[in-house]
Amino acid sequence: MEIHKTSWPMRIIVFLLFVYLLAPVLLVFPLSFSGDQVLRFPPSFWSTRWYSALFANSQMLKAFWTSLSLAAVVTVLSIVIAVPAAWVMTRLRFAGRDLLFNIFTAPLLLPTIVLGLAILIVFASFGLLATMQGLVFAHLVVTLPYALRVLAVSLSTQDRACEEAARTLGAKPLTVFFRVTVPMLAPGIVAAAALCFLVSFDEVVITLFLTGPRISTLPVELYNYVYNQADPLVAAASALLILLTLGVIMIVERAMGLGKAFVK
Amino acid sequence: MPMTSAPEEHLRLEGIGVSFGAVNVIPSLDLSVRKGEMVAFLGPSGCGKTTTLRIIAGLNKPSRGQIKVGGRDITQLPIHDRDMGMVFQSYALFPHMNVARNVAFGLQMRNVPAREAETRATQALEMVQLGHLAHRKPKELSGGQQQRVALARALVIEPSILLLDEPLSNLDAKLRDEMRVQIRALQQQSGITAVFVTHDQVEALSMCDRVVVMRGGQVEQFGTPTEVYERPATAFVANFVGRTNRLKGTVTSEGTLTAAGQQLRSATTLAPGAVDILVRPHRIRLQETGEAANKVEGTVSSITFIGDLVQYAVRVGGGEIVVEEATRRDRSPLAVGDGVTLGWSAEDTLVYPAGEK
Repeated sequence: MEIHKTSWPMRIIVFLLFVYLLAPVLLVFPLSFSGDQVLRFPPSFWSTRWYSALFANSQMLKAFWTSLSLAAVVTVLSIVIAVPAAWVMTRLRFAGRDLLFNIFTAPLLLPTIVLGLAILIVFASFGLLATMQGLVFAHLVVTLPYALRVLAVSLSTQDRACEEAARTLGAKPLTVFFRVTVPMLAPGIVAAAALCFLVSFDEVVITLFLTGPRISTLPVELYNYVYNQADPLVAAASALLILLTLGVIMIVERAMGLGKAFVK
Repeated sequence: MPMTSAPEEHLRLEGIGVSFGAVNVIPSLDLSVRKGEMVAFLGPSGCGKTTTLRIIAGLNKPSRGQIKVGGRDITQLPIHDRDMGMVFQSYALFPHMNVARNVAFGLQMRNVPAREAETRATQALEMVQLGHLAHRKPKELSGGQQQRVALARALVIEPSILLLDEPLSNLDAKLRDEMRVQIRALQQQSGITAVFVTHDQVEALSMCDRVVVMRGGQVEQFGTPTEVYERPATAFVANFVGRTNRLKGTVTSEGTLTAAGQQLRSATTLAPGAVDILVRPHRIRLQETGEAANKVEGTVSSITFIGDLVQYAVRVGGGEIVVEEATRRDRSPLAVGDGVTLGWSAEDTLVYPAGEK
């Protein structure tokens, strides 16, 4: 990357901007080591009691595992559905293709609260409320548009001559797809998977409508927790969530470089 | 061409046409390519040369017509069964495979045993002098090296036809010259039938046995490089293949050709009417002293020094003729304003009905 000389006033502005954006996030870390009973900054003394409390909270732990397995299943399903769908959208010509693509990606634009209500009404009649299947379906509505978008962009920038070359070399269409198209799509797939995972893991609004005492996700549990009491346990949970997010992003970075996966 | 027996026909296009809705991109194309020869499709962009090549490969479907290889109709055959080796302008190497696996891909698809595939891929890479780079990824190679890998990948499957789609246009000038020689040598060694799409007349003339000059989806002329250059069938061919001077002239009912107020001689028999007269700049002598079929007086109006060539613009009765001459030391150079006598032979006066583009 090219290195530009930045003037001092510009550097200060950029620094302040970052502080403004990141301060609330960074604040979570000192708060999570608070020894106080309530959320207060700065804490009057330090301790790791809220981390212990968090790991002793079976409800939180259960919600965490629910969220993790939910996000994993949703991610895998999103990719498995979105890769062929994006291929069809970018490689085949048919009437109504653009319309179809817009319908598939429309949930990105809809207010999630509306989506949540709609899903609640539909799922209630199918007995899908407060079930794992119900959560998977609901999250797919949100993650699929992301996956489709990212993969469609990757596919449309891919050099089609590679697929054509494989065809002329004797590869049947399905072989071309698995031996050439999908491997070349790997950066896009990793990016889409990371996005789906984080979106699903983080989803609150729609999930709120679908969870109950039987099954709940970590963000919803945190929301409920804060609703009832304001102690630094949520700060400890948030700090761990931030680290998890960073972990996912670092995996992407290791796999192919952030720039390559997301910006293309 | 000195040939003991007429080589057999290998590839044949019969009435190939392409239409998009009401637009006839290619009206109807008939072509015949002999076994072992390299044919260039030459023309400006949009002339249908690449479309025709892709139709042969099966990547595009013709709206009508038939493609035959060795007498067998392959029009309906899917791409992967056509047995064509294609080299793309963008190289189209698989970025996730190393060079050796790129080259072996076509063999794998043909279910060649792994060990044999490896040996043959290695040989193919040696053939293009890239054996030492077998384990590199394509992006670690230069453009010229990538194109040689693409060539090895296309040739290793011993295809029935080698198709080259502007393979040199992404390379710089010097590399292009080297690759020209190398591609031609490989094609001749393997005796493979090849079709070479290009918009560059130098590539077409220097590499290929025969040249198809195309325009607007139609064949303007199909002949050897010499025929196309020396006896262009149309004014378009004359203009596209090499540089020309264009003069407006007329042919009288007695068959006399006049232009710029002077009588000119051509080797062709002429129909009366308005004509365009084309003369190649380097076929004109600047200071004609002997008996030439065509002699025109003029004055030098500008001089452009190109290095190996000097271009003189010579003003003659109402028009301008460009003359090219190799630079030389045995004669003092001409200056702007000098009077000259241009001379050229009757064979170099190319005459076409007026109005042709």
